[in-house]
Amino acid sequence: MIGVYDFCGHYDWTFEWLRQTGGEALVREYWDEAIHQNSQRHACELIQQQGFAGMATYWGHTLSHEGAGYDTTVAEGVFRIDMHECPSKGFLLRNHLGAYHDYCNHCMGWIGPMLQEAGFAVDHEHNHCGQCWWEMRRLSDDNPPSGPGMLAGPHDVRLCPDWSQAGTKHDLYCRSNHPDHKV
Amino acid sequence: MNTEDSRHALPYTDAKKVGAADFYFGINATFGFIQQLFGLEGLRRYWRGLGDKYYSPVSAAWKTGGLPAVAAYWRAFFAAEPGAEVEVILDSASVILEVRACPAITHLRAHARRIVPCFCQHCYYVSEAMAAPAGLTVRVEGGNGSCRQTFLPRQEHLPAQDLNQIKEAK
Repeated sequence: MIGVYDFCGHYDWTFEWLRQTGGEALVREYWDEAIHQNSQRHACELIQQQGFAGMATYWGHTLSHEGAGYDTTVAEGVFRIDMHECPSKGFLLRNHLGAYHDYCNHCMGWIGPMLQEAGFAVDHEHNHCGQCWWEMRRLSDDNPPSGPGMLAGPHDVRLCPDWSQAGTKHDLYCRSNHPDHKV
Repeated sequence: MNTEDSRHALPYTDAKKVGAADFYFGINATFGFIQQLFGLEGLRRYWRGLGDKYYSPVSAAWKTGGLPAVAAYWRAFFAAEPGAEVEVILDSASVILEVRACPAITHLRAHARRIVPCFCQHCYYVSEAMAAPAGLTVRVEGGNGSCRQTFLPRQEHLPAQDLNQIKEAK
């Protein structure tokens, strides 16, 4: 049997199996069809029905079950997540796993299309070391992402001393809903 | 079974003691996606790959430690799966997993998820690919929420797994 305790390990291995079998396009198709439209359809329903309140309910439940170190901030027209210790990428780092070359992209791979369907766009940045931030706004809202500390105060992951680590590349998405729309 | 004490038998370990049950949704969706695109043979190829590549550290531990290592692995494995009710029985000739409540089927049913009908076959294909390099084999009977899985040394005259003995999941 394959289980959920090491889910992130075989999830990562699966991305690479799909890439070798059908290229990067198949990996994107998997994130959208299998994860967004099937596995995580409870998240889609919540956020489509309840908007920002649905985001708070969904990420509150799932991140606490996964054992994440994170903060959320809700302000007028925006929902923000600061991920200080990603349980998913953290599992891979602790176990020296990394079959697929861009594991962190899977979040944008399913969350991006899911939020687009619900009427939201994403500003997001991750450092491939288990830290990232997200700001979700309505598609009709043209406000730019907040500056460091402006919205989340001291909880803003960008203020952490290890946010920018030597030799690591950050991926940034501005008002995006697609894993390949990096700045 | 104390999870803290048994975790050394797992190839990959986490800070949390038990996995997040909603990931069973992801496992089920992954099987469905691969089967839809590549058919049952493609799905079996994926399962075999998981068994002999991703789980290769388990095979190595079983090769060195034999049946006691098989029992230790499954005890640790099921201690970390939410909602599992499984007895692991070790004797001189085999390791038997008496799965009274499969955590995956239980969770998928509780959330009214449509379960991929061949879901339970993955236990045979993944475990057989893990067992073979260690000189072991597995036979699975039952499924759809409860089953018996028997791990034993490979023998020339042992009948092959009868897939009809593995129930469809509903």
